[in-house]
Amino acid sequence: MNLRLITALLLAFGLWLTADLSIAQSAGYGQVQTGTDQVTLTRWALQHIMARHWPDSTATGAGKFQAGITEASLRDMINEAVHNGRARRNTHGRSGTIYEYDFQRQIGTTIDGGPASRLRVVVSNRNEVITAFPF
Amino acid sequence: MHLDYRLNEDTETDWSSVTEEDLRYRVALGNLLFHVGDKDFSADWGWIPLVDLAASFAEIVRKLEGGSPSETFEFTESDAWVRFQKKGEKVLVSSSYGEGVAEIALHSVSAAVKSFRERLRSELDRRHPQAAHNQAVRKLLGAA
Repeated sequence: MNLRLITALLLAFGLWLTADLSIAQSAGYGQVQTGTDQVTLTRWALQHIMARHWPDSTATGAGKFQAGITEASLRDMINEAVHNGRARRNTHGRSGTIYEYDFQRQIGTTIDGGPASRLRVVVSNRNEVITAFPF
Repeated sequence: MHLDYRLNEDTETDWSSVTEEDLRYRVALGNLLFHVGDKDFSADWGWIPLVDLAASFAEIVRKLEGGSPSETFEFTESDAWVRFQKKGEKVLVSSSYGEGVAEIALHSVSAAVKSFRERLRSELDRRHPQAAHNQAVRKLLGAA
């Protein structure tokens, strides 16, 4: 095998690796690892959560995340809640699963403005986050 | 018992493709108007998915009529709740955000919830004609 052929094979292998990595990265956007399973935080779900539960949201009657929350830290909290939280079936005909986890520290405020340490995450049967909020 | 709603304006939703999950969490949002006697369990938060609430209340009534001693409605975006506890043929209504406990006959709750669903379905059909043909709407609010 001459040097040119080896170089070509290495180049092709490198391109394949790069292509594979980019797919993993694009598919990985918003995904939250949960051991063997993973739930996905879609752009739509993130917007839904931000509109109602972000610190600057004007929505009333909804828990708010603490100032400084980021997409990354939200993903981390969802990960922890889904991984370690108490799971129960969604209620009254709503599909999916509810996960609740107490972080033992303030993560936001309740609907009354008091400190909230717990997170509720609602996950669809397709393993997509529907909503998440402190309480 | 007064059970009513205020539906937000919505010009963005494509009602031909609305899913059950959309109806449960994202569309047909508004306020709950809910009085029992002199107790007020209304919630004017503006984000309450009203089709979900109508379907959930109907499910709660079915369960209470089927013998369940207590059912709790959980709002979708907070830990707020409304509880219905059976006491003979009556129901005690309480909430996490309103004061006091109200008492009302179960058949009155059932009638109010049925009326709520029918009025909401009619208003959605009127405002958004495509909603009348949407399977998820028909499933949650019943066929017209």
